[in-house]
Parts: sequence; structure tokens; C-alpha cells
Amino acid sequence: MAQLSLRGIKKRFRDTEVLHGIDLEIGDREFVVFVGPSGCGKSTLLRLIAGLDPISDGEFVLNGHRMNDVAPSRRGIAMVFQSYALYPHMDVYENMAFGARLMGLDKAEVERRIAEAAQMLRLEALLKRKPRELSGGQRQRVAIGRALVRKPDVFLLDEPLSNLDAALRSEVRLEIAKLHREIGGTMIYVTHDQVEAMTLADKIVVMNNGRIEQVGSPRELYETPANTFVATFIGSPRMTLVDVTHEGDRLAMANGGSVAAGTLPGPGALKLGLRPDGVQLHRSASEGFAGRVEYTEYLGDNAYVYVRLANGTLLSARTTPNDLYTPDEAVTVSVTPGAAHYFSAEDGRRLDP
Amino acid sequence: MPQFRMTGRGLWITVLIVPPLCFVALFIVYPIISAFAYAFFDWQGLRRLDFVGLENFHTVLFVEPYRSWTLNAFKNNIIVFFALMVLQNGLGFILAYALWRELPGARFHRIAVFLPVVLSTIIVAYLFKLFYHPLFGVVNISLKSIGLGEWAQPWLGQSGTALWSIIAAQAWHMVGFPTLVFLAGMQRIPGEILDAVRMETESEWVKITKIVWPLVAPSATIVFTLLFVGAFNWFELPYIMGGLDGSPFGSTDVLGLYFYRTAFGNVSAGQQDFGLGSALAVLIFIFIAAIAAVITTRLRAREIQL
Repeated sequence: MAQLSLRGIKKRFRDTEVLHGIDLEIGDREFVVFVGPSGCGKSTLLRLIAGLDPISDGEFVLNGHRMNDVAPSRRGIAMVFQSYALYPHMDVYENMAFGARLMGLDKAEVERRIAEAAQMLRLEALLKRKPRELSGGQRQRVAIGRALVRKPDVFLLDEPLSNLDAALRSEVRLEIAKLHREIGGTMIYVTHDQVEAMTLADKIVVMNNGRIEQVGSPRELYETPANTFVATFIGSPRMTLVDVTHEGDRLAMANGGSVAAGTLPGPGALKLGLRPDGVQLHRSASEGFAGRVEYTEYLGDNAYVYVRLANGTLLSARTTPNDLYTPDEAVTVSVTPGAAHYFSAEDGRRLDP
Repeated sequence: MPQFRMTGRGLWITVLIVPPLCFVALFIVYPIISAFAYAFFDWQGLRRLDFVGLENFHTVLFVEPYRSWTLNAFKNNIIVFFALMVLQNGLGFILAYALWRELPGARFHRIAVFLPVVLSTIIVAYLFKLFYHPLFGVVNISLKSIGLGEWAQPWLGQSGTALWSIIAAQAWHMVGFPTLVFLAGMQRIPGEILDAVRMETESEWVKITKIVWPLVAPSATIVFTLLFVGAFNWFELPYIMGGLDGSPFGSTDVLGLYFYRTAFGNVSAGQQDFGLGSALAVLIFIFIAAIAAVITTRLRAREIQL
């Protein structure tokens, strides 16, 4: 059982405030991913939850107990570090046994738990090896195993895949997802990679500049981003934002055509958000925004075409691989009905009808 | 026939390496070899007499009064070594840990702890001689001023306290060195490893004994070996504070002083014997080299690549 509440969490380093009041509820067995660009405060928040850094202001409650002043080792939380942080002088078995013994478990129980974790993580053959004799993926599994044997209420994972090569990364990603299903603990996972966030999370927390921008399921974030930051952060290639003016039932782009407006509040300037799969390109002049092809990316199963619109914005569009455009070709961009997102021109917030 | 060509790089290396090699050969290798040679001859002053084989070694090890002198000095060196192991290296480790944990004032103390190391040994020796002065020394005056007047005593003047007083001065003088080496070792430990330990225990004792100590093994090898060599070559402080005779009554006599006295003579005992002195020097050298080699290999075995 694990129920976490973060209430008005602030973190200051000397005079610099890096977290400006984080409110977040995390339920039992949830897989929560903190995602955001470098320096957004996601790792800092994780360290506050772990207890490695003191909370400057606000309250962290775990299962009804205030945790602000509880030592990291007494919170019932285990952490997997980015560098794995295995003890270099201990073999794999000792690395896993160290924390378990310190919890006061008897010898038989420690052995039982290590055997269980080793079996789950395919570490049986490696128990007598030192960390330096292991590959990156194996070290990663030992780090997870070390967390597992303590049977914590909450697992924290700080960018656990960032030190692995690309091929291994997707493999370990699947393993972590499988592990979460098997052990069913609450997991909090920090990454700057939105693909990891989308594929692993029950709930994504998008952070920027020490604030939470939006909390929601991967689908919610992709389909109804709360603001332009989330809209452009989630999804690859990123969503294009076009400055348009709403007049009557048209959205007009400066010196470059217009598209039909959906149901929208009031006339005026706004930002139109277009994902690569929400637009079509036309070679013949038709209704839509005018632009010129800048370059194309062929990916095999589909292709991306980057179009410089008449107002200077670079737009990405997905096309079929057979439909390749040449640079400098004039095109018209039309919007798939229902695929457009609308954001306020002033503060970037989502506009809902 | 292959032609030897001096390329620019080879020339540079030669130019840089030849002068120090000559220096080492002339002032280190040659004296060591000649000491070995001297030890096998009978000497009268600076005049070499007959080849006597192992006679000199036999004399310093088994013939009285040399035998007692050798054993006494050797015993004192052993005391010095173990005492400094605790007072200098042990304290150095604790100080390094405190400095590393950034306790309040760490920046000031980092400098304060290392400052005495920079002082000349001569200055430290005379300074502590003044401190220990039976009437005007700051040690006795302090004891009297806090009501412990009956503890005041002639620290350097009695057999029971003289050696320990000099050891204390040595520890104060050099404690900054192991501190610095240990601190450097600790600063090499990755921060995430310490975070990982903190997730598993809050006990400083466990952190120190199970994580920090094993991970600073390379630093320990360095300071242990250097302390061993230093303790058995100890000379300056006892020479100035206890005198060439290791007074009072040989209680501060160590192998360095004893060798010097035997080889080069002394004001109070006119005797001077190059042969016996060289034999002593050779024995000290072999002892230090052998034990230091053992210590180094044993300690190296427990070092871990971070």
C-alpha cells in the first residue's frame, strides 16, 4: 500500500527557488512518470521524496504519515540511480544483501529475497561478480534488484535508461513495465524522454521551470494538452503552433491563407496547434495555408515533410513514404477536421469551446 | 645495418630524463651501494682497514652493548609507528571525514589542519620544546591554570613521558598530510553511491566502516606505507627535542639517532665507527624495504577501481 501526497512542496537552494509549490497525489500501484526538460526540477522533486534533500516548504505525506523529517532509510522508499550507484567493492549478492541486512531481516529471509529478485531479474549466474565485471544492462538489473529486496512501498527511478545504448534501452523499458505489473509497487520514474514517459506511465507529470504543467494519462496529454508547453513537449515530431486570427468561421494566417475554424470562443488572435498527423499537404493550390517544402525525412514506414509556412513558421507533416516532396516545392496545408488544438495567444492555455 | 635516428620526441625525452637520472645515480644509488660496501669492512676513522665479512652485522645485533642499544631503538621505533598510526593516520581519517561532510567551518578547518605540515620541522621541534618547558611551557602553565597543577611535569625530562611528548608533536605537525590524502580519496567517491547508502541506513558508523573505508583503500595504502617508512626513518624531531643520545637515558632513542651516533660519533661518546654504522644503515634499509613491500602488496589487494 502506498498513497503519496505532495502539498505545496517548495525547494530553495540558498536564495534560488527551484520548485515553486508542487501539489500532487499519487495512488497505490501507480506508475507515475515525471517528465520535463533539463533543469525543470523533476530530479530535485524525486530527491525530496527520497529524503536525500530537505524540503524547504510544504508537506510530503506517505500513507498518512508526514515524511518531511523522516530519514531516507526509514521512509519505505527505494531508489534506482542514474549511474546505478552499485557498491564497487561488493559483489552482486552483497550489493543486494547490504540494505536488506540493515533492515534487520534474518539471514534466511535475506537469502530468500535475493533468490527471488535474482530469479526475476535473471541475475542468478552473476551473483558472485563485482559491478565492474558487469555490462550496463546487467548493472541496471542489479540496481533494480537492490531496490526489490527491500520490498519498499515506493520505487524511485532516476533516469534509469539514460546510460544504456539505444537498443538496450527499449528492451529494459519493457522489462521495467513487466516488473511493475509483477510486483505491483508504486513507481515514480524520472525521465526527459517523452517516449519513455508515454510507454511506461499510468500517469505523466509534465514539469517545467519548477512547476507542474499538467498531470494526466499519456492519452490525455496527447489529445488534450493543457497548454502550448505540454502540447509541444509530448509527441514527436513536435506539434506546430501557428499564429492565426479568428474572423467569422475562418482562421487566417498572416499573408498565407486560412482554414475553417472549429467551434471556438470569440474572435481574435490565437495559436493553432497542428500535429504532423493532423494535416495534409496538397501540391495543387487549394484551401489552406501556403508554404514551401524545406526538407523531408524518410523513415521507411512513413515520411515527415517540413514546410516553411508563409508567415515563417516551420510545420511538420506526416506523409506516406511514397508521397515524397522535393525541397522548395510550393504546397498548401489543410487541417484534418477535429485534429486542431487551440491555445490562447496570450498565456498559451488551451481554449475549449 | 639499422640506423639509429634521434627524432624530436626521443631527443626531448632524453634531454629531460638524463639529468635527473645522473642526479639519482650520484646522490642516491651510489651512497646506498657504498653503504652496503662499507658495512663489510673494518674502519678506523675514515681509513678503511680489512674486509671483515658479516662481523659488523653480528656486532650490532648480538654483541653488548650494541645489542641492547639496537633493541631499545628498534622498540622505540615500533612504539612510534603504532602511536602515529593512531594519532596521525587514525585522526587524519576522522578529520578528513568531518571536513568531507562539510560540517560548519569546514573551509577554515581544511586550511587550519594542513597549515602545520607546511611548517619546517625545525620550527615545530623548537616550538614544542618551548611548549613542554617545565617552568615556562604553555602545557604546564595551562594545566596549572585549570587547576590540574599536579599533572604538570617535565615532559621531555623523564623517561615515561619524553617519547610520547615527541610523538604528540610529530602527530600535530603531520596530521594534515593523511587528512589531505584521505580527503582526496573521499572526494573521489561518486555522490550517487553515498545517496544509495543513505537510502539504506542512517548510521554514520555503517557508512564509514562498510562504504567509505573500503573505498578510500588507495589513500590508506599511501599513508600507511609512507608512515611506516617515516616512522622507521624518524630523526629530526627526536634529534632536536631529545638530543643525539635519545635522552633521558635512551628513552627517545630511535634507529635514526642510533645510526647517526654510531657512524659519525657524538660529543659525549667519542666513538665513531663507519663499519658498524653502515651495517646498521643496511639493516634499517632492508627492514624498511621488505616490510614496506609487504604492506604495499597486501593493501593494494584490497583496492577497488571506482
